[in-house]
Amino acid sequence: MKDEDIQVFITCARRYFHSIDPSSPLVIEPPFVKNRVEPFLEYTGIISISGRARGVVCFTTNSDLLRQILAELHDEPKDENAIRDLAGEIANTLSGNAREEFGKNFLITVPVVVTGQNFDFPFPDNARNYVVPLVWRNQHAYLLVCLE
Amino acid sequence: MKLLIVDDSSVVRRAIERDLSSGEITEVDQAENGEEAVRLYSLKRHDVITLDITMPKMDGLTCLDKILQINPAARVLIISALRDRATAIDAIKRGASGFLCKPINADELREAFQLLLSD
Repeated sequence: MKDEDIQVFITCARRYFHSIDPSSPLVIEPPFVKNRVEPFLEYTGIISISGRARGVVCFTTNSDLLRQILAELHDEPKDENAIRDLAGEIANTLSGNAREEFGKNFLITVPVVVTGQNFDFPFPDNARNYVVPLVWRNQHAYLLVCLE
Repeated sequence: MKLLIVDDSSVVRRAIERDLSSGEITEVDQAENGEEAVRLYSLKRHDVITLDITMPKMDGLTCLDKILQINPAARVLIISALRDRATAIDAIKRGASGFLCKPINADELREAFQLLLSD
């Protein structure tokens, strides 16, 4: 993955949050690189990538941001399931939208959703991990892109 | 009119149902994967189906093929995050009636739905 490819995912994130509420801008803070996939907030949707690239795309955030999106969708979460589901759906949408640039051989899985920081997942260990900090309505999220 | 909403996300299924709820639709079923969708469709022959592509057990394009084997005239609107042109063309060639890219808003969805009904 080249550094400029991260812009594809930033465009996808902007499009997603604009669709939720055009009047609430998504703030993109400067991306940076870490030597492993992190950080993780309360809820993380993980999409595994194969085909033209290999690795993962993750969307991680806290329940407050997810609840605000659910409210915009007029969905009242009666339990945690809707919040978990939405974390996975956002990861799926951002990854799937990236095929506009990367093409149909950028293969994505269904999302895996994890909570907290302590979980097992076979993240790639030999790829650069790009971290894109996002702020929406004063709530924080990270887009994690780790592709060989 | 009977509507079948197929998506592995319950949030998306509920959003589609809310956005399309109208007097025209008298019955709504939901399925969270392609296998369940084919089973429900074979039982109830819904008038319109909204269908995601990336799903567990059976993906949406395989599901589309199976539904069209049951009824070649089935009206299927694909609603997927897969934003590449090749996937949209493939879906239409296989027999989908329309293709919408997520994220979608209610107006886009209603417009696509009305186009589907008038086709």
